Amino acid sequence: MKRLLVLMSFFLFIGTLPAFAADAPLISKDELKAKIGTTGISILDVRSGRDWSSSEFKIKGAIRASGKDYDKWSKDYSRDQTLVLYCA
Amino acid sequence: MKYSFLFSFGLGCAWLLSPESLVTAGNLAGKLGCLSLVFIVLVLLLFIFCNRLLHHPQLPDSPDKEFLILRSALGNIPATALSLVSCLPLTILAATALFVTSGYTFNEVFLYWFPNFGFAFLLLACLTILQILPEQYSYRAQTLFMILTGGGLLFLSLYAIAGTEASAADLFHKPASFSPADPALFLPVFTGITLVHEKYSANVVMVFGTTLFILWIIASMLYVSPERLASSTIPYMTAARKIMGEPGRQLMGLVVISGSCAAVNALMLLSRQMFTHISPALLPVKSRRWLLPLFTGSCTGILMATGLAGDEALETLLHSGLILWLSYYLILCCSALSWLKKNSGTAMLPSCLPPLFLTGGLLSLIFGSPARTETILHIFFAISAAALVAAVWFFINKKQITTSKETTV
Repeated sequence: MKRLLVLMSFFLFIGTLPAFAADAPLISKDELKAKIGTTGISILDVRSGRDWSSSEFKIKGAIRASGKDYDKWSKDYSRDQTLVLYCA
Repeated sequence: MKYSFLFSFGLGCAWLLSPESLVTAGNLAGKLGCLSLVFIVLVLLLFIFCNRLLHHPQLPDSPDKEFLILRSALGNIPATALSLVSCLPLTILAATALFVTSGYTFNEVFLYWFPNFGFAFLLLACLTILQILPEQYSYRAQTLFMILTGGGLLFLSLYAIAGTEASAADLFHKPASFSPADPALFLPVFTGITLVHEKYSANVVMVFGTTLFILWIIASMLYVSPERLASSTIPYMTAARKIMGEPGRQLMGLVVISGSCAAVNALMLLSRQMFTHISPALLPVKSRRWLLPLFTGSCTGILMATGLAGDEALETLLHSGLILWLSYYLILCCSALSWLKKNSGTAMLPSCLPPLFLTGGLLSLIFGSPARTETILHIFFAISAAALVAAVWFFINKKQITTSKETTV
Protein backbone atom coordinates (compact mmCIF):
# COMPACT_ATOMS: atom_id res chain seq x y z
CA MET A 1 0.00 0.00 0.00
CA LYS A 2 2.86 2.35 0.91
CA ARG A 3 4.52 1.66 -2.44
CA LEU A 4 1.29 2.38 -4.27
CA LEU A 5 0.90 5.72 -2.48
CA VAL A 6 4.49 6.70 -3.33
CA LEU A 7 3.89 5.77 -6.97
CA MET A 8 0.67 7.75 -7.11
CA SER A 9 2.27 10.83 -5.50
CA PHE A 10 5.12 10.63 -8.02
CA PHE A 11 2.74 10.65 -10.99
CA LEU A 12 0.71 13.51 -9.47
CA PHE A 13 3.87 15.54 -8.84
CA ILE A 14 4.92 15.21 -12.47
CA GLY A 15 1.42 16.23 -13.53
CA THR A 16 1.58 19.52 -11.61
CA LEU A 17 5.03 20.59 -12.86
CA PRO A 18 3.66 23.01 -15.52
CA ALA A 19 2.14 25.08 -12.69
CA PHE A 20 5.68 26.13 -11.71
CA ALA A 21 6.42 27.72 -15.07
CA ALA A 22 8.06 31.17 -15.24
CA ASP A 23 5.97 34.37 -14.91
CA ALA A 24 4.55 35.93 -18.05
CA PRO A 25 2.24 38.94 -18.52
CA LEU A 26 -1.29 37.59 -18.37
CA ILE A 27 -4.55 38.83 -19.84
CA SER A 28 -7.90 37.95 -18.36
CA LYS A 29 -10.75 36.40 -20.33
CA ASP A 30 -12.86 39.57 -20.06
CA GLU A 31 -9.98 41.85 -21.07
CA LEU A 32 -9.37 39.72 -24.12
CA LYS A 33 -13.07 39.61 -25.00
CA ALA A 34 -13.15 43.40 -25.03
CA LYS A 35 -10.12 43.61 -27.29
CA ILE A 36 -11.13 40.98 -29.85
CA GLY A 37 -11.71 42.57 -33.23
CA THR A 38 -9.72 45.72 -32.45
CA THR A 39 -6.65 46.59 -34.46
CA GLY A 40 -3.19 45.86 -33.15
CA ILE A 41 -4.04 42.61 -31.42
CA SER A 42 -3.50 39.10 -32.73
CA ILE A 43 -4.46 35.93 -30.95
CA LEU A 44 -2.16 32.98 -31.47
CA ASP A 45 -3.09 29.42 -30.58
CA VAL A 46 0.29 27.89 -29.77
CA ARG A 47 -1.01 24.41 -29.05
CA SER A 48 0.11 21.67 -31.38
CA GLY A 49 -0.45 17.97 -31.86
CA ARG A 50 -3.00 16.42 -29.55
CA ASP A 51 -2.99 19.45 -27.25
CA TRP A 52 -4.78 21.25 -30.05
CA SER A 53 -6.72 18.42 -31.67
CA SER A 54 -8.21 17.08 -28.41
CA SER A 55 -9.46 20.46 -27.28
CA GLU A 56 -13.02 21.57 -27.87
CA PHE A 57 -12.26 25.20 -27.16
CA LYS A 58 -10.68 27.22 -29.90
CA ILE A 59 -10.96 31.03 -29.99
CA LYS A 60 -12.61 32.21 -33.18
CA GLY A 61 -10.13 33.98 -35.42
CA ALA A 62 -7.08 32.67 -33.55
CA ILE A 63 -4.11 31.82 -35.71
CA ARG A 64 -2.24 28.57 -35.10
CA ALA A 65 1.44 29.15 -34.40
CA SER A 66 3.76 26.42 -33.28
CA GLY A 67 6.48 27.22 -30.77
CA LYS A 68 8.92 25.28 -32.95
CA ASP A 69 8.34 27.66 -35.87
CA TYR A 70 8.77 30.84 -33.82
CA ASP A 71 11.44 32.18 -36.19
CA LYS A 72 9.07 31.88 -39.13
CA TRP A 73 5.89 33.43 -37.77
CA SER A 74 7.43 36.04 -35.48
CA LYS A 75 8.55 37.99 -38.57
CA ASP A 76 4.91 38.43 -39.63
CA TYR A 77 4.15 40.75 -36.69
CA SER A 78 5.45 44.24 -35.99
CA ARG A 79 6.97 45.16 -32.60
CA ASP A 80 4.10 47.46 -31.62
CA GLN A 81 1.51 44.75 -32.14
CA THR A 82 0.03 42.94 -29.11
CA LEU A 83 0.28 39.18 -29.38
CA VAL A 84 -1.92 37.08 -27.13
CA LEU A 85 -0.69 33.51 -26.93
CA TYR A 86 -2.82 30.78 -25.45
CA CYS A 87 -1.93 27.19 -24.84
CA ALA A 88 -4.77 25.67 -22.82
CA MET B 1 -11.14 -18.78 -17.87
CA LYS B 2 -14.86 -18.52 -18.50
CA TYR B 3 -15.82 -15.96 -21.09
CA SER B 4 -19.13 -14.25 -20.37
CA PHE B 5 -20.52 -11.96 -23.04
CA LEU B 6 -19.68 -8.75 -21.14
CA PHE B 7 -16.20 -9.98 -20.31
CA SER B 8 -15.46 -10.83 -23.95
CA PHE B 9 -17.01 -7.55 -25.09
CA GLY B 10 -14.82 -5.67 -22.62
CA LEU B 11 -11.68 -7.28 -23.97
CA GLY B 12 -12.46 -7.47 -27.68
CA CYS B 13 -14.15 -4.16 -28.44
CA ALA B 14 -12.07 -1.78 -26.33
CA TRP B 15 -10.26 -0.19 -29.27
CA LEU B 16 -13.42 -0.20 -31.39
CA LEU B 17 -15.20 2.12 -28.95
CA SER B 18 -12.15 4.18 -27.97
CA PRO B 19 -12.00 7.90 -28.83
CA GLU B 20 -9.45 7.06 -31.55
CA SER B 21 -11.93 4.87 -33.43
CA LEU B 22 -14.72 7.40 -32.85
CA VAL B 23 -12.59 10.06 -34.58
CA THR B 24 -11.97 7.69 -37.51
CA ALA B 25 -15.70 6.92 -37.64
CA GLY B 26 -16.71 10.60 -37.63
CA ASN B 27 -14.15 11.71 -40.20
CA LEU B 28 -14.89 8.84 -42.58
CA ALA B 29 -18.66 9.23 -42.14
CA GLY B 30 -18.28 12.88 -43.14
CA LYS B 31 -16.07 12.05 -46.07
CA LEU B 32 -17.76 8.92 -47.41
CA GLY B 33 -21.33 9.14 -46.12
CA CYS B 34 -23.17 5.81 -46.25
CA LEU B 35 -20.20 4.14 -47.91
CA SER B 36 -18.50 4.24 -44.51
CA LEU B 37 -21.19 1.85 -43.19
CA VAL B 38 -20.52 -0.56 -46.06
CA PHE B 39 -16.78 -0.44 -45.40
CA ILE B 40 -17.06 -1.10 -41.67
CA VAL B 41 -19.25 -4.15 -42.41
CA LEU B 42 -16.66 -5.39 -44.94
CA VAL B 43 -13.88 -4.99 -42.37
CA LEU B 44 -16.01 -6.86 -39.82
CA LEU B 45 -16.48 -9.74 -42.28
CA LEU B 46 -12.76 -9.81 -42.95
CA PHE B 47 -12.00 -10.14 -39.23
CA ILE B 48 -14.69 -12.80 -38.79
CA PHE B 49 -13.09 -14.89 -41.56
CA CYS B 50 -9.61 -14.37 -40.08
CA ASN B 51 -11.01 -15.34 -36.68
CA ARG B 52 -12.48 -18.51 -38.20
CA LEU B 53 -9.07 -19.37 -39.58
CA LEU B 54 -7.34 -18.74 -36.25
CA HIS B 55 -9.83 -20.97 -34.43
CA HIS B 56 -9.62 -23.88 -36.86
CA PRO B 57 -10.17 -27.13 -34.92
CA GLN B 58 -6.87 -28.55 -36.20
CA LEU B 59 -4.82 -25.75 -34.66
CA PRO B 60 -3.49 -26.23 -31.11
CA ASP B 61 -6.02 -25.43 -28.42
CA SER B 62 -3.98 -23.90 -25.62
CA PRO B 63 -3.74 -20.36 -24.19
CA ASP B 64 -0.31 -19.88 -25.80
CA LYS B 65 -1.41 -21.17 -29.20
CA GLU B 66 -0.63 -17.87 -30.96
CA PHE B 67 3.02 -18.09 -29.92
CA LEU B 68 3.18 -21.80 -30.80
CA ILE B 69 1.80 -21.17 -34.28
CA LEU B 70 4.17 -18.26 -34.86
CA ARG B 71 7.15 -20.22 -33.55
CA SER B 72 6.40 -23.18 -35.77
CA ALA B 73 6.34 -20.91 -38.84
CA LEU B 74 9.08 -18.40 -38.05
CA GLY B 75 11.31 -19.81 -35.33
CA ASN B 76 11.88 -18.72 -31.76
CA ILE B 77 13.59 -15.34 -32.10
CA PRO B 78 11.36 -13.87 -34.86
CA ALA B 79 8.23 -15.11 -33.07
CA THR B 80 9.36 -13.46 -29.83
CA ALA B 81 10.34 -10.24 -31.59
CA LEU B 82 7.02 -10.09 -33.41
CA SER B 83 5.04 -10.71 -30.23
CA LEU B 84 6.95 -7.94 -28.43
CA VAL B 85 6.68 -5.40 -31.19
CA SER B 86 2.98 -5.99 -31.77
CA CYS B 87 1.83 -4.77 -28.39
CA LEU B 88 4.47 -2.87 -26.40
CA PRO B 89 4.94 0.22 -28.61
CA LEU B 90 1.20 0.40 -29.22
CA THR B 91 0.38 0.20 -25.50
CA ILE B 92 2.79 3.01 -24.62
CA LEU B 93 1.83 5.29 -27.51
CA ALA B 94 -1.90 4.70 -27.21
CA ALA B 95 -1.75 5.41 -23.48
CA THR B 96 0.08 8.70 -24.16
CA ALA B 97 -2.45 9.76 -26.79
CA LEU B 98 -5.62 8.61 -25.07
CA PHE B 99 -4.80 9.93 -21.60
CA VAL B 100 -4.00 13.37 -23.00
CA THR B 101 -7.33 13.34 -24.84
CA SER B 102 -9.06 12.28 -21.62
CA GLY B 103 -7.24 15.03 -19.70
CA TYR B 104 -8.60 17.68 -22.06
CA THR B 105 -12.07 16.15 -21.98
CA PHE B 106 -12.15 16.13 -18.18
CA ASN B 107 -10.84 19.69 -17.97
CA GLU B 108 -13.19 21.11 -20.59
CA VAL B 109 -16.33 19.13 -19.80
CA PHE B 110 -16.25 18.54 -16.04
CA LEU B 111 -13.76 20.63 -14.03
CA TYR B 112 -12.19 23.75 -15.56
CA TRP B 113 -9.85 24.25 -12.61
CA PHE B 114 -8.36 20.76 -12.74
CA PRO B 115 -5.22 20.66 -14.92
CA ASN B 116 -5.63 18.39 -17.95
CA PHE B 117 -2.05 17.18 -17.63
CA GLY B 118 -2.67 16.31 -13.95
CA PHE B 119 -5.75 14.27 -14.86
CA ALA B 120 -3.83 12.43 -17.60
CA PHE B 121 -1.16 11.45 -15.05
CA LEU B 122 -3.79 10.50 -12.49
CA LEU B 123 -5.39 8.11 -14.98
CA LEU B 124 -1.99 6.68 -15.87
CA ALA B 125 -1.20 6.10 -12.19
CA CYS B 126 -4.58 4.45 -11.53
CA LEU B 127 -4.31 2.08 -14.50
CA THR B 128 -0.69 1.21 -13.67
CA ILE B 129 -1.74 0.34 -10.13
CA LEU B 130 -4.72 -1.62 -11.45
CA GLN B 131 -2.34 -3.73 -13.54
CA ILE B 132 -0.12 -4.38 -10.54
CA LEU B 133 -3.06 -5.65 -8.46
CA PRO B 134 -4.22 -9.27 -8.97
CA GLU B 135 -5.47 -9.92 -12.50
CA GLN B 136 -9.17 -10.23 -11.65
CA TYR B 137 -9.31 -6.54 -10.70
CA SER B 138 -8.19 -5.39 -14.14
CA TYR B 139 -10.70 -7.76 -15.77
CA ARG B 140 -13.55 -6.46 -13.60
CA ALA B 141 -12.53 -2.86 -14.22
CA GLN B 142 -12.36 -3.59 -17.96
CA THR B 143 -15.95 -4.84 -17.97
CA LEU B 144 -17.06 -1.76 -16.02
CA PHE B 145 -15.24 0.65 -18.36
CA MET B 146 -16.85 -1.00 -21.37
CA ILE B 147 -20.34 -1.01 -19.85
CA LEU B 148 -20.00 2.75 -19.33
CA THR B 149 -18.58 3.33 -22.81
CA GLY B 150 -20.97 1.05 -24.69
CA GLY B 151 -23.98 2.08 -22.60
CA GLY B 152 -23.27 5.79 -23.07
CA LEU B 153 -22.81 5.45 -26.82
CA LEU B 154 -25.92 3.29 -27.18
CA PHE B 155 -28.02 5.77 -25.20
CA LEU B 156 -26.79 8.76 -27.21
CA SER B 157 -27.28 6.93 -30.52
CA LEU B 158 -30.82 5.75 -29.72
CA TYR B 159 -31.76 9.17 -28.34
CA ALA B 160 -30.45 10.76 -31.53
CA ILE B 161 -32.17 8.34 -33.90
CA ALA B 162 -35.48 8.45 -32.01
CA GLY B 163 -35.55 12.23 -31.76
CA THR B 164 -34.42 13.18 -35.22
CA GLU B 165 -36.56 15.02 -37.71
CA ALA B 166 -34.19 14.19 -40.53
CA SER B 167 -35.25 11.53 -42.98
CA ALA B 168 -33.27 8.43 -43.91
CA ALA B 169 -32.62 10.08 -47.28
CA ASP B 170 -30.44 12.65 -45.48
CA LEU B 171 -27.93 9.91 -44.80
CA PHE B 172 -27.37 9.22 -48.47
CA HIS B 173 -25.25 12.20 -49.37
CA LYS B 174 -22.73 11.89 -52.13
CA PRO B 175 -19.21 11.08 -50.85
CA ALA B 176 -17.10 14.24 -50.83
CA SER B 177 -14.12 12.27 -52.04
CA PHE B 178 -13.11 8.66 -52.19
CA SER B 179 -9.78 6.97 -52.40
CA PRO B 180 -9.21 3.19 -52.53
CA ALA B 181 -7.18 3.49 -49.32
CA ASP B 182 -10.21 4.75 -47.32
CA PRO B 183 -11.76 1.34 -46.39
CA ALA B 184 -8.40 0.30 -44.91
CA LEU B 185 -8.63 3.12 -42.37
CA PHE B 186 -11.25 1.04 -40.56
CA LEU B 187 -8.86 -1.93 -40.18
CA PRO B 188 -7.30 -0.82 -36.86
CA VAL B 189 -10.69 -0.65 -35.10
CA PHE B 190 -10.48 -4.34 -34.20
CA THR B 191 -7.05 -4.00 -32.60
CA GLY B 192 -6.71 -6.38 -29.65
CA ILE B 193 -9.43 -8.81 -30.76
CA THR B 194 -6.96 -11.66 -30.08
CA LEU B 195 -7.60 -11.07 -26.36
CA VAL B 196 -10.83 -13.05 -26.81
CA HIS B 197 -9.81 -16.68 -27.06
CA GLU B 198 -13.09 -18.25 -28.03
CA LYS B 199 -14.17 -18.23 -31.66
CA TYR B 200 -17.89 -17.82 -30.94
CA SER B 201 -17.38 -15.09 -28.32
CA ALA B 202 -15.02 -13.16 -30.58
CA ASN B 203 -17.49 -13.19 -33.48
CA VAL B 204 -20.46 -12.23 -31.31
CA VAL B 205 -18.69 -9.33 -29.61
CA MET B 206 -17.34 -8.05 -32.91
CA VAL B 207 -20.85 -8.05 -34.39
CA PHE B 208 -22.30 -6.39 -31.27
CA GLY B 209 -19.53 -3.79 -31.08
CA THR B 210 -19.85 -3.00 -34.79
CA THR B 211 -23.62 -2.55 -34.40
CA LEU B 212 -22.98 0.05 -31.67
CA PHE B 213 -20.34 1.68 -33.86
CA ILE B 214 -22.72 1.82 -36.85
CA LEU B 215 -25.54 3.27 -34.71
CA TRP B 216 -23.19 6.01 -33.56
CA ILE B 217 -22.09 6.75 -37.14
CA ILE B 218 -25.75 7.03 -38.20
CA ALA B 219 -26.53 9.32 -35.23
CA SER B 220 -23.54 11.55 -36.10
CA MET B 221 -24.56 11.74 -39.76
CA LEU B 222 -28.12 12.71 -38.84
CA TYR B 223 -27.06 15.67 -36.69
CA VAL B 224 -23.78 17.02 -38.05
CA SER B 225 -23.04 18.22 -41.57
CA PRO B 226 -20.66 16.01 -43.57
CA GLU B 227 -18.12 18.83 -43.96
CA ARG B 228 -18.04 19.40 -40.19
CA LEU B 229 -17.73 15.67 -39.44
CA ALA B 230 -14.94 15.21 -41.95
CA SER B 231 -12.87 18.15 -40.72
CA SER B 232 -13.44 17.96 -36.94
CA THR B 233 -10.67 16.66 -34.70
CA ILE B 234 -13.29 15.64 -32.11
CA PRO B 235 -16.35 14.69 -34.20
CA TYR B 236 -17.76 12.64 -31.31
CA MET B 237 -18.07 15.73 -29.10
CA THR B 238 -19.53 17.85 -31.89
CA ALA B 239 -22.18 15.18 -32.52
CA ALA B 240 -22.96 14.65 -28.81
CA ARG B 241 -23.48 18.40 -28.30
CA LYS B 242 -25.81 18.62 -31.30
CA ILE B 243 -27.79 15.59 -30.15
CA MET B 244 -28.38 16.43 -26.49
CA GLY B 245 -26.77 19.77 -25.73
CA GLU B 246 -24.83 20.06 -22.45
CA PRO B 247 -26.00 16.69 -21.02
CA GLY B 248 -24.86 15.09 -24.30
CA ARG B 249 -21.42 16.66 -23.89
CA GLN B 250 -21.17 15.35 -20.34
CA LEU B 251 -22.27 11.88 -21.36
CA MET B 252 -19.76 11.88 -24.19
CA GLY B 253 -17.10 13.09 -21.73
CA LEU B 254 -17.79 10.00 -19.65
CA VAL B 255 -17.69 7.80 -22.77
CA VAL B 256 -14.33 9.29 -23.81
CA ILE B 257 -12.72 8.86 -20.40
CA SER B 258 -14.02 5.33 -19.78
CA GLY B 259 -13.32 4.39 -23.41
CA SER B 260 -9.71 5.58 -23.05
CA CYS B 261 -9.28 3.61 -19.82
CA ALA B 262 -10.80 0.52 -21.45
CA ALA B 263 -8.54 0.76 -24.51
CA VAL B 264 -5.35 1.27 -22.48
CA ASN B 265 -6.26 -1.41 -19.92
CA ALA B 266 -7.01 -3.87 -22.74
CA LEU B 267 -3.67 -3.12 -24.40
CA MET B 268 -1.86 -3.55 -21.08
CA LEU B 269 -3.59 -6.92 -20.67
CA LEU B 270 -2.60 -7.81 -24.23
CA SER B 271 1.04 -7.00 -23.46
CA ARG B 272 0.89 -9.11 -20.32
CA GLN B 273 -0.64 -11.98 -22.28
CA MET B 274 2.11 -11.79 -24.90
CA PHE B 275 4.79 -11.81 -22.22
CA THR B 276 3.13 -14.77 -20.49
CA HIS B 277 3.07 -16.83 -23.69
CA ILE B 278 6.57 -16.14 -24.92
CA SER B 279 8.63 -19.22 -24.22
CA PRO B 280 11.14 -19.46 -22.60
CA ALA B 281 9.70 -16.65 -20.47
CA LEU B 282 11.22 -13.22 -20.98
CA LEU B 283 10.40 -12.27 -17.40
CA PRO B 284 9.99 -14.46 -14.31
CA VAL B 285 6.31 -14.91 -13.33
CA LYS B 286 6.69 -12.97 -10.07
CA SER B 287 8.31 -9.89 -11.56
CA ARG B 288 6.05 -9.90 -14.63
CA ARG B 289 3.17 -8.53 -12.57
CA TRP B 290 5.29 -5.65 -11.25
CA LEU B 291 7.77 -4.94 -13.95
CA LEU B 292 5.62 -4.87 -17.05
CA PRO B 293 3.01 -2.31 -15.82
CA LEU B 294 5.80 -0.22 -14.26
CA PHE B 295 7.76 -0.30 -17.51
CA THR B 296 4.80 0.67 -19.71
CA GLY B 297 3.56 3.22 -17.13
CA SER B 298 6.98 4.86 -16.78
CA CYS B 299 7.56 5.00 -20.54
CA THR B 300 4.13 6.59 -21.02
CA GLY B 301 4.82 9.05 -18.17
CA ILE B 302 8.15 10.04 -19.70
CA LEU B 303 6.60 10.53 -23.14
CA MET B 304 3.82 12.68 -21.68
CA ALA B 305 6.23 14.72 -19.54
CA THR B 306 8.55 15.35 -22.49
CA GLY B 307 5.65 16.75 -24.50
CA LEU B 308 5.11 14.07 -27.11
CA ALA B 309 1.37 14.73 -26.91
CA GLY B 310 1.98 18.23 -28.23
CA ASP B 311 4.00 16.90 -31.14
CA GLU B 312 2.53 15.95 -34.50
CA ALA B 313 4.91 12.95 -34.48
CA LEU B 314 2.64 11.17 -31.98
CA GLU B 315 0.00 10.56 -34.65
CA THR B 316 2.54 8.95 -36.99
CA LEU B 317 3.98 6.88 -34.16
CA LEU B 318 0.53 5.69 -33.10
CA HIS B 319 -0.32 4.87 -36.72
CA SER B 320 2.89 2.80 -36.91
CA GLY B 321 1.97 1.04 -33.64
CA LEU B 322 -1.42 0.06 -35.04
CA ILE B 323 0.20 -1.17 -38.26
CA LEU B 324 2.58 -3.30 -36.18
CA TRP B 325 -0.34 -4.99 -34.40
CA LEU B 326 -2.12 -5.57 -37.72
CA SER B 327 1.09 -7.01 -39.18
CA TYR B 328 1.29 -9.38 -36.23
CA TYR B 329 -2.32 -10.41 -36.85
CA LEU B 330 -1.62 -10.95 -40.55
CA ILE B 331 1.52 -13.00 -39.91
CA LEU B 332 -0.41 -15.01 -37.32
CA CYS B 333 -3.08 -15.84 -39.95
CA CYS B 334 -0.40 -16.81 -42.48
CA SER B 335 1.36 -18.96 -39.85
CA ALA B 336 -1.96 -20.67 -39.07
CA LEU B 337 -2.38 -21.44 -42.76
CA SER B 338 1.14 -22.85 -42.90
CA TRP B 339 0.45 -24.97 -39.76
CA LEU B 340 -2.75 -26.36 -41.29
CA LYS B 341 -1.02 -27.16 -44.55
CA LYS B 342 1.89 -28.84 -42.77
CA ASN B 343 -0.15 -30.86 -40.30
CA SER B 344 -3.31 -31.75 -42.18
CA GLY B 345 -2.98 -30.42 -45.69
CA THR B 346 -6.27 -28.54 -45.26
CA ALA B 347 -5.12 -25.07 -46.31
CA MET B 348 -7.26 -24.22 -49.31
CA LEU B 349 -7.67 -21.20 -51.51
CA PRO B 350 -10.72 -19.75 -49.64
CA SER B 351 -8.73 -19.76 -46.38
CA CYS B 352 -5.99 -17.76 -48.09
CA LEU B 353 -8.34 -14.96 -49.11
CA PRO B 354 -8.79 -13.16 -45.74
CA PRO B 355 -5.01 -12.81 -45.17
CA LEU B 356 -4.70 -11.68 -48.78
CA PHE B 357 -7.26 -8.89 -48.30
CA LEU B 358 -5.64 -8.00 -44.99
CA THR B 359 -2.28 -7.67 -46.77
CA GLY B 360 -3.85 -5.31 -49.31
CA GLY B 361 -5.40 -3.22 -46.54
CA LEU B 362 -2.18 -3.10 -44.58
CA LEU B 363 -0.17 -1.98 -47.60
CA SER B 364 -2.66 0.77 -48.34
CA LEU B 365 -2.52 1.86 -44.67
CA ILE B 366 1.27 2.15 -44.96
CA PHE B 367 1.55 3.69 -48.41
CA GLY B 368 -1.66 5.72 -48.24
CA SER B 369 -0.40 7.59 -45.19
CA PRO B 370 0.91 11.11 -45.82
CA ALA B 371 3.85 10.29 -43.53
CA ARG B 372 4.72 6.98 -45.19
CA THR B 373 8.50 7.39 -44.98
CA GLU B 374 8.37 8.07 -41.24
CA THR B 375 5.92 5.19 -40.75
CA ILE B 376 8.21 2.75 -42.56
CA LEU B 377 11.20 4.00 -40.56
CA HIS B 378 9.34 3.64 -37.24
CA ILE B 379 8.28 0.09 -38.14
CA PHE B 380 11.81 -0.79 -39.19
CA PHE B 381 13.34 0.58 -35.95
CA ALA B 382 10.74 -1.07 -33.75
CA ILE B 383 11.23 -4.46 -35.38
CA SER B 384 15.03 -4.13 -35.24
CA ALA B 385 14.94 -3.22 -31.54
CA ALA B 386 12.57 -6.09 -30.71
CA ALA B 387 14.71 -8.54 -32.71
CA LEU B 388 17.79 -7.38 -30.80
CA VAL B 389 16.07 -7.83 -27.42
CA ALA B 390 14.81 -11.28 -28.44
CA ALA B 391 18.23 -12.35 -29.74
CA VAL B 392 20.04 -11.15 -26.59
CA TRP B 393 17.47 -12.83 -24.40
CA PHE B 394 17.80 -16.15 -26.18
CA PHE B 395 21.58 -15.90 -26.08
CA ILE B 396 21.52 -15.38 -22.27
CA ASN B 397 18.86 -18.02 -21.86
CA LYS B 398 20.81 -20.54 -23.93
CA LYS B 399 23.83 -20.03 -21.65
CA GLN B 400 21.66 -20.59 -18.59
CA ILE B 401 20.12 -23.72 -20.09
CA THR B 402 23.57 -25.06 -20.97
CA THR B 403 24.90 -24.28 -17.45
CA SER B 404 21.95 -25.96 -15.75
CA LYS B 405 22.35 -29.01 -18.00
CA GLU B 406 26.05 -29.23 -17.15
CA THR B 407 25.24 -28.94 -13.42
CA THR B 408 22.72 -31.76 -13.71
CA VAL B 409 25.24 -34.01 -15.49
